[in-house]
Amino acid sequence: MRGLSKHFSGIKAVDEVTFAIKRMSIISMIGPNGAGKSTFINVVSGIYAPNAGKVYFEGEEITGTAAHEIAVKGIVRTFQLEELFGSLSVLENVMVGCHIGSRSDVLACGFSLPSARSEEKRVRKEAKECLKEVGLEQRAYDPISRLPLGERKLVGIARALGMKPKLLMLDEPAGGGAAHEVERLVRLIYNLRDRGITIFIVEHNMPFVMSLSERIIVLDEGRKIAEGTPNEVRTNEEVIKAYLGEEI
Amino acid sequence: MKPVLRVNLIWSIFVALILLIPLVAGSYVISVMCFIAVFGGLAVGMGLLLEQAGLFSLAHPSWFGIGAYMSGILAVRDIAAPWLGGIIGSIFVGLISYIVGAPLLRLRGYYLACATFGLLLIVEISLGQLGSLTGGHEGLMGIPPLSLGGFVFETDVHYYYLSWALCLATLLFLHNLMGSRVGRAIKAFSDSEVAAKSVGINVPRYKLKVFILTAMMASLAGSVYTFYLRFTEPGIFGFPLLVELVTMIIIGGGKRIYGPLLGAFVVMWMRELIHMYVGGLLPRVTGEVDAIFFGVLIIVILIFMPRGLAGWVDRLFDGRRIVFGEESQG
Repeated sequence: MRGLSKHFSGIKAVDEVTFAIKRMSIISMIGPNGAGKSTFINVVSGIYAPNAGKVYFEGEEITGTAAHEIAVKGIVRTFQLEELFGSLSVLENVMVGCHIGSRSDVLACGFSLPSARSEEKRVRKEAKECLKEVGLEQRAYDPISRLPLGERKLVGIARALGMKPKLLMLDEPAGGGAAHEVERLVRLIYNLRDRGITIFIVEHNMPFVMSLSERIIVLDEGRKIAEGTPNEVRTNEEVIKAYLGEEI
Repeated sequence: MKPVLRVNLIWSIFVALILLIPLVAGSYVISVMCFIAVFGGLAVGMGLLLEQAGLFSLAHPSWFGIGAYMSGILAVRDIAAPWLGGIIGSIFVGLISYIVGAPLLRLRGYYLACATFGLLLIVEISLGQLGSLTGGHEGLMGIPPLSLGGFVFETDVHYYYLSWALCLATLLFLHNLMGSRVGRAIKAFSDSEVAAKSVGINVPRYKLKVFILTAMMASLAGSVYTFYLRFTEPGIFGFPLLVELVTMIIIGGGKRIYGPLLGAFVVMWMRELIHMYVGGLLPRVTGEVDAIFFGVLIIVILIFMPRGLAGWVDRLFDGRRIVFGEESQG
């Protein structure tokens, strides 16, 4: 893999942003509210089509590909407002994540053919492993509505893991989490990186971002105003200006 | 007792009762039960579409009707044996629902409801106007009974077992489906379409699949219906049937697969009771009494049991554990 590069321009929310993500790295995007960070994720994951610019993944252009096909390619995202499936249990939510890794279709499932049943067993096992990885195996049969926000975000990550991502984009994973939950999250993200998953984080929680990231991209009013290691970004004047009054 | 055992026990008792009823009941009860199986099965498919897949399609009576007419016409003209006609009808309906669904399913919510309601009217009017083919408003007559390998379905009891076999098979199929990968995908896109796409679910394709599947099931029910009555007319497949099905779904509760069937039981037996008692007292306005009664019943159900009778049964049996507990471990 040659690493990824993404170019954007046109939409006001995200204005001519260009950068590359190296494989198996942890890279973050920060910026004040309304800087266009979530829009950026939405464009890359195919929810919105860009007005101009291109997205490359593993050397292949994926601009304008449908969201579900982008997911199949291994670019997986979580949501700021978790977007879990409320009518399914925690485990079933993660099993939906295994959707692209399974084949059974309407007839096989409806007639409960042996092939569908053995696949179901495998998916269930995989999903349980994903839940274990984020530390929620005891919650497997709870409905989503019974989980606090921090745990819901973990379910979102477990669901994403079920998709066997190459690039995992986390939209504010630490938002709403208590201190010990954030700590758990940091360990989880390091584990995932070591397993070979490239991590892209959009986040407001500065200590979290600064301690975790190898590189940081700073977005302001849709434009990239800085890129570098946490130390470089911390001392960058433009960044300080954008965050005027906020401590970095 | 473990919830899953209890659920299985209840279903075994239910199936046993269905099997035994013809041995003790008279032809009146058997005939009403026949209609419950047909319309209940139909409502089950429509309820799944409306409440679980979140696709507000009102075209179900049309699929039922096209299936009924297709197999009826093929049998009357001696083109295909009734059983084969039923299958051809269902494939034909699958094809039409594909052609119609591919563009229409891009619509959301009430827009989809409007478009499919239009379809319902078009089909009903067409069936009436295509006189040379369908027999027009007079109806299609001279439909032979269903026969299968020398066995002729003649009596009510024969059709009773046939319609219940189809109804229970529909129920079992959809139950398996909704507990599987496909069912999860369907529930996922009805909860959050954006999230469903992001986990790699091809949402338009799954919408089309569940739309076609339920349409084909409706068509099979239509064929059984038409061979049971041995007569069919356009008026059966119009607005009144739609209202009837929606009533069954609301009263029974569409979030559970069996809900609409439960609704069909309640609606059809209550109607029989109304006709029996009110019919004697107020013979001229029985229809109106009927409409007012079900109108009030729907309001009461929506206020006190928004998830229908099935939702109420869930709570009775500690639904949470059944829904999210061991059962789904299967």
